[in-house]
Amino acid sequence: MPGSGKSDGRRLGFKASQEVVVVAISVMLFVVFSATLNNFLSRGNVIAILKNVSILGTLAVGMGFVVVGRGIDLTMVAVMVVGVAFSIWISTWGIDFTLAVICGAILVAVIGLFTGVMVAVAEVPPIFATLAIASSVYGSGRIVFASDVLYAPPDIAWLKFVGNGSVLGIPMSVVIFGAVAALMGLFLRKTRFGRLVYATGDNPNAARTTGLPTRPIIVTQYVISALIAFTAGIIMTGLVTGIDTRLYNSSLIYDVLLVVVLGGIGLSGGQGGVRNVIAGTILVGILTNGMTILNFSYTSQNLIKSVILLGALAIDAIINPRDEQTSQSGDI
Amino acid sequence: MKIFKKCLLAGMTALALMGAAQVASAQETDQVGRAPYLESLKGKKVIFVPISQGMDLNQAWVMVWQRHAARYGFTLEVRDPNGDTNAGIRAMQGAIAEKPDLIIVQNPDVQTYARLLKQAQAAGIKVLQVNMQSATQTDSYVGNDWIEMGRLEMGELAKHCTGPNAVSHKVVWLAGVQTGAANIYMRTGIDEVLKANPELQLVSDQPADYISEKARQITETVLQQHPDLCGIMGIWDNAEVGAGAAVAAAGKQDQVTIVTNGAGAATGCESIKNGLLDVIFNFNAPIQGEIAAQQISELLQHPDRQAGSEKTIFFGPITRVDKTNATGRNCWKPEDIK
Repeated sequence: MPGSGKSDGRRLGFKASQEVVVVAISVMLFVVFSATLNNFLSRGNVIAILKNVSILGTLAVGMGFVVVGRGIDLTMVAVMVVGVAFSIWISTWGIDFTLAVICGAILVAVIGLFTGVMVAVAEVPPIFATLAIASSVYGSGRIVFASDVLYAPPDIAWLKFVGNGSVLGIPMSVVIFGAVAALMGLFLRKTRFGRLVYATGDNPNAARTTGLPTRPIIVTQYVISALIAFTAGIIMTGLVTGIDTRLYNSSLIYDVLLVVVLGGIGLSGGQGGVRNVIAGTILVGILTNGMTILNFSYTSQNLIKSVILLGALAIDAIINPRDEQTSQSGDI
Repeated sequence: MKIFKKCLLAGMTALALMGAAQVASAQETDQVGRAPYLESLKGKKVIFVPISQGMDLNQAWVMVWQRHAARYGFTLEVRDPNGDTNAGIRAMQGAIAEKPDLIIVQNPDVQTYARLLKQAQAAGIKVLQVNMQSATQTDSYVGNDWIEMGRLEMGELAKHCTGPNAVSHKVVWLAGVQTGAANIYMRTGIDEVLKANPELQLVSDQPADYISEKARQITETVLQQHPDLCGIMGIWDNAEVGAGAAVAAAGKQDQVTIVTNGAGAATGCESIKNGLLDVIFNFNAPIQGEIAAQQISELLQHPDRQAGSEKTIFFGPITRVDKTNATGRNCWKPEDIK
């Protein structure tokens, strides 16, 4: 991968600073909450924090993967809710639920493939392509399924295990998030394909000129992010016995994007990794948990959350000022 | 001969009477008042602006109204903004511009449509509000008595969470959307019960936004903080299954009572049977729809009455549903209504 090694290292060094800022704020909050709130430091609460961000975190891993390749996938929440709702819907025809889930996975992979082709081959800017596709996917689902809320059939043993099971005391939802994150981390760091994603994200034109298969790489990214979104949907179905397609209308997709950017994966691509996603996810998790315990009102929660997140970005901007050397074309 | 004459007379009288009766019955085959009723409904235009048609209660209402519209020849158009307030405002503006005979509206909150509803009334369009009220009162409201609903739900928790045998006096209120009518009025009812039972301790008051995963997250966090929690009350059965899932995951189903309300759909009954919910105060959306259908007829029958000149309110039935009566009409399915 000509060129990617050196520049990648430099950018990681630079971006790690934002990660450090986020981790520092997380640690600070953790210490403050531990000192002031009863039971915050308990094992149960720490597990609750992780469990409550497992869906957000899983989605953010998929989003991070696309953003590293200088893309953005706004279809994730739509794909998640519609994919799982589709599985539940066809299972009501009498198809075995496990088979229905496999069909759902195939459907979301096809959607991901279509998104990838729109971005890589038709060269529609990813933000517009995915925004439009998200809307179409959700809209189609809205026509097909009568209700917003679809309940999975009861007594599916593996689904119950996903929701309530645990491995060595760690809930399955957290285990799945951890597994997806670890696999993605290894994939990005250790495989040739992973390095190609960085190269494509860092400078797509240079990557293409040097002969890298940028189009197949981009298409694969969207297929994988769709499948990760589907996985997050399965976790949710296991946790709350059904899926609520109205989540598409919530701010979830922006929260996912926020976690990715906050953790230090620049939207300009080619930088950061799974570690950044985890840092961002944990900050949001600690913040939400502490404020829920403090029983802050919804409005003040949103206010405090935005102020702290804005603060993290501002501190980063002061510590790491952008200049002509560090900024890239396509920086937002 | 005299007898013969008398018989003939009697016979003729009888015949005449029968004839008269026949004429009378021919005139009365049309049910009294039916013709003007049909006349007043036929060809009228009704527009419904819901919050989102994806909700079970909305589906029940529209099924009932569409049957009513098909039978009596008026049109019902549903302009679904699908949970988007801005789209809802546009739908309302569009509806007012079209000057229908009646607008039915389910308000996302008490303020958003308040001025638009005034405009509609000023333009001579009658407005029927269903289940979620606006700050503006219009011709009619059909839906829940939300203050009573708050009182019922917190009252149910008060039964479990006061007294010497209660595990604790700690209760949680999982709200919906804080600016929604249901939320605001339920809170009034809740506060009344809390005032009457000062030992009850409201340890958390967070909106779950009608989303089950959010309800689950809040409950999971609160349970860590208050392992001796006694009760949770919510605002929609489809959201509180998340709270139920968190309680079940903590193995505290016998300790924590979960009370909520719902449209009475079969999915709610399933959640009771699965042990995710304990009590649903069921407001039976199909019956609510029928009451609203009668209001549609009422408002369309009196075109002479000025819009907004008479303001009426109809609170629908509320049934307490638990494990013992989660059957029959307390658990409707969409196909039952058709």
